[in-house]
Amino acid sequence: MSDATLDAREGLTTVSRSFGRQAWDRFRRHRLAMIALVLLALMTTAFVVGPWLSPYAFSDQDFSALNQGPSLAHPFGTDPIGRDLMVRTFIGGRYSLRIALLIAVLTTAIGTVIGALSGYFGGRLGAAIDQVINLFLIVPSLIILIVLAARYGSGPNAIAIVIALLSWPLIARIVRGSFLQFRDQEFVLAARAAGASTRRIMFRHILPNVFGPIVVNATLLIGIAIILESTLGFLGLGVRPPVPTLGNLIAESKGALQTKPSAALIPGGFIVTITLCANFIGDGLRDALDPTSRKS
Amino acid sequence: MLAYAVRRVLATIPLLLIGTFVVYVLVSISGDPLAKLATCTQCDQQAFDRIIDLYDLDKPIPERYVNWVVNAVQGDFGPAVSFGSIDAGELVLERAANSARLAIPAFLIIVTIAITLGVYSAVNQYSRLDYAVTGLSFLGISLPTFVFALLLQTIMIWMLDAFGWRPFFVTGMRTVELDGFLPMLRSHVLPVITLVLVITASESRFQRAAMLEVINSDYIRTARAKGLPNRKVILRHGLRNALIPMATIWAIDFAALLGGSVVTETIFAWPGLGPLFISAVTQLDLNLTMAIVMLTSLLVIVFNLVADLAYGLLDPRIRYE
Repeated sequence: MSDATLDAREGLTTVSRSFGRQAWDRFRRHRLAMIALVLLALMTTAFVVGPWLSPYAFSDQDFSALNQGPSLAHPFGTDPIGRDLMVRTFIGGRYSLRIALLIAVLTTAIGTVIGALSGYFGGRLGAAIDQVINLFLIVPSLIILIVLAARYGSGPNAIAIVIALLSWPLIARIVRGSFLQFRDQEFVLAARAAGASTRRIMFRHILPNVFGPIVVNATLLIGIAIILESTLGFLGLGVRPPVPTLGNLIAESKGALQTKPSAALIPGGFIVTITLCANFIGDGLRDALDPTSRKS
Repeated sequence: MLAYAVRRVLATIPLLLIGTFVVYVLVSISGDPLAKLATCTQCDQQAFDRIIDLYDLDKPIPERYVNWVVNAVQGDFGPAVSFGSIDAGELVLERAANSARLAIPAFLIIVTIAITLGVYSAVNQYSRLDYAVTGLSFLGISLPTFVFALLLQTIMIWMLDAFGWRPFFVTGMRTVELDGFLPMLRSHVLPVITLVLVITASESRFQRAAMLEVINSDYIRTARAKGLPNRKVILRHGLRNALIPMATIWAIDFAALLGGSVVTETIFAWPGLGPLFISAVTQLDLNLTMAIVMLTSLLVIVFNLVADLAYGLLDPRIRYE
């Protein structure tokens, strides 16, 4: 045994732990967040691997089993033209998760850049961005969404981009607040005195301080995005069928609520579980990355 | 305070103009009102000319927008083309009244439950009940409106199958005048519950945070130190101050509720502003869309103003410059 570890064991020195390591230790202690992480990993695996293992393809029709409830051959039942709903739900989950991740990444990227610029430079740019955010309060997002979808199509990526273009103000406001708070502090002054460029100050010196809130909100965004996408799909305004997203699957089967409620409730259950997981993981990350900001 | 209110209203006018202009342009450029006529083989040039003349289609969009503003200010929102050309303003007001039938009871229930849960879990922070409330609100935030509504409908259908009777109607609006009191009640319950669940979840979190901040402040300690009973400290000194920051949140939520909820009203086939809005936008009915946007933005502006003024009444330290 080396001297260093002996010292540490006897409490003579402490083993230094990186920020990431400390955060992970704090995250692990948040029991619900850990359960959510495992659950989300399981669901993702099922969505990715499940369709390969299934004997049915997502558009295969089984004419001996039309419009059935759950059974051994079809655990989630079949739709009116005999397609296996388990495979369809997994593929739908795949699309929904992919769209939600894309929305979270795009929204965070746009919101961070705009928030950083307006917070750091302030003045007229900040005021202009404020007005744009106010404008979003008055112009209903549904109009923009429907108009843009009519123009640029409603494939999974197009819908994700449009939703991201509508939701960045949320992140921008958070990032802007932090940049306003940090830009006049001593460490920024020190960096400038040392000759750092504005870009370097913004992204190397200030941005890491905002890292916690950004990651937390990106995680929460996944939950919001899943709900948004599936609600749009349910209203018939989202990703256009035949692409099966979880929302589209519910929209397809809402008419058969009386005879076969499982067809709508199973994808609904997945939506709720994914969102819950995202929210709990976000909560855990807030404890782990941003322990001072915890209030409610 | 009156001067402040007037100034605030005036300040929102440019925003309102830009907002409605954006919507006007977006809807105008999305569709060709003559497209339907173009496929008509029996129509002659006269029909085209008449439509062009009727809707000023030969004029540039900004000019049409100015005309719209001039008419709208006088209360004329034009005909709703997708609804047999009845007056768009009247149609919107009629549907707004139906939305209000859900919004008002839902709002009262939301505020009552949110205050109770928020205060209770803040006062008993980290108790089992606090965790239960937290868990419930997490579930409420994670449960999409339409999934919850479908769940309620499924339960009703199942009850009808199992007992031959269901307590509440699954779709449609009944009124006292046409159907009697009990049917009216039975048709309102499910949509109201749906609205309540979704908003209460987030509102009780805000209430809890506001209450926590107050009960950790110095004047609460002072109140306790001078020997006031706990109940008085919480309700008289604590709650009254914890309600001040809630005014804004109530204003936003109530304005949103009155503006009609797209999902809830669609699922329960409620003839409110939500489904009307969807149908107006998808059919590119310009006049109707504009009338709805006008009403919903006015609601947002008015209720935000009310909240700001209420702030001053509740907290005399706030001054309006």
